[in-house]
Amino acid sequence: MRNIERRPRSVGDIGIRVVILSLAALVLMALQLTGQLRPLQSAIALFTSPAQVSATAVTQNVTNVVSFFVELRNLRQRNAELEQFNSSLLAQNFTLREMERENESLRDLLDFAQKRPGLELRGAQIVGLAISQESTNFLDSIRIDLGLTHGVKVGMTVLTDQGLVGRITEVTSNSQSKVLLLTDPTSAVQVVLQESRLDGVVRGSAGGNLLMDFIPNNREFKVGEAVLTSGLGSRFPRGIPIGQVVEIIQRDIDFSQQAVIRPTVDFRRLELVAVVTNFDPAEEVEALAPIPTPNAAGTITGTNGISGTTGISGTFGITASNGVDANPPLTVPIPAPGEGAP
Amino acid sequence: MNRDLLFYLMIPLLFVAALLQSTAAVRLEMGGVKPDLVLLLVVTGVLIYGSRTGVIWAFAGGLALDIFSGGPMGSSCLALMMASLAVGVGQRTLSRFNVLVPLVATIIGTFVYGTTYVAILSWVESAVNFLALPSVSAVRYELAFWPTLQFIIVPALFYNTTVMLFLTPLLNRVPERSEAMGM
Repeated sequence: MRNIERRPRSVGDIGIRVVILSLAALVLMALQLTGQLRPLQSAIALFTSPAQVSATAVTQNVTNVVSFFVELRNLRQRNAELEQFNSSLLAQNFTLREMERENESLRDLLDFAQKRPGLELRGAQIVGLAISQESTNFLDSIRIDLGLTHGVKVGMTVLTDQGLVGRITEVTSNSQSKVLLLTDPTSAVQVVLQESRLDGVVRGSAGGNLLMDFIPNNREFKVGEAVLTSGLGSRFPRGIPIGQVVEIIQRDIDFSQQAVIRPTVDFRRLELVAVVTNFDPAEEVEALAPIPTPNAAGTITGTNGISGTTGISGTFGITASNGVDANPPLTVPIPAPGEGAP
Repeated sequence: MNRDLLFYLMIPLLFVAALLQSTAAVRLEMGGVKPDLVLLLVVTGVLIYGSRTGVIWAFAGGLALDIFSGGPMGSSCLALMMASLAVGVGQRTLSRFNVLVPLVATIIGTFVYGTTYVAILSWVESAVNFLALPSVSAVRYELAFWPTLQFIIVPALFYNTTVMLFLTPLLNRVPERSEAMGM
């Protein structure tokens, strides 16, 4: 067997290794930045995606098991027999629960699509939660299982029924893309406060909060106001919920006010997202208001990572026959994180 | 714990750690930061085997991290290599069986890794702008240093150190010398 014991330290020996490995890292970096690593990355993604999907599923199940046992401990104090029954039942139905929850998310997305007939949505399962999601603490992004073959392009908007998630920043392969989350410090979205109609820019900030900046001074707005995409800059469709003002920051020395925003999307529990495939970032589309027009048609499809593919697709019409105004003012309910779809 | 076996398991363990970092670490998020599993493993490896082999594990772990994460390829490699070198400075003179040694090593490793990574991201951003490279990724890599230090690196430093506190008993079970070499 190879002698793995520490040999006397040789600065030159370590130095050579460091230089060689650093050069290798720099070459890799240069190749990636010039795009020459893309075929290799696509090939690697083919092998690593199944591992990530499996690990995500296992993680989800472990989380469910841990949550389950925490709840079980409390409930046992009140009803030991009932909890015992529940534990066996839940253990048998983990797979079913997973599918049920995904179906629920898809139903919410379907409802979301129904209210926005102008958007063509494509459902996606997040392949890797972390990168972090990006794997580091520095960048917030996720990978989804949609890529070139699904018509996904850089810049496309990604959302859930609860609100804006981010945008596609890289289409890594035929079946994978990277999404920069709204919470990433490098992201910026033009927004408008729903009631006071003040414009601003929402940025992610280190630590996971959202910060709305460049709100004009001497203009009043309230805690609790909903924050929506404004459509300015044409990078995101107009009227997508982002969050709710929870704190106003006003300092005499600043030229503008700031607000801390609580996002409507729970970014730590993202499972299903939808990609808006028909919004050209350079040209704002019409009919983005969340209220459906009569006889509107929408389509949403989705994949289920547990048992192959389950899809919901269809065309649905809505007719305003109950006397309700078909085009009321723009009002978007802002659920607190954790409410609504899981 | 078998020291030789652990040596040969390091690369697979780094791969698994990178995989878990991209899938499971988000479930362990506290205060906006996640534990740096690969970094912790590299620090552990350096404490046991020294920075001579540690830089290779740092490179391998960084590569796996970059593959799964989608960050600039090679950036984690460089940051982890710097961290392994920094951790390895006092590795031969200080006994890792002193509980403070792994904890201080983790603090140093996390700080060096974090600051180096931010510096590399900033450098990549500058290089892309300066050379007007074709837009491979729409991600802007430049991060503000002080907020990143305050809200990410320092909290991660505490988080990683806490995790290392729990790993220390396991680390201490690895003998200082190989059994084949004789105690």
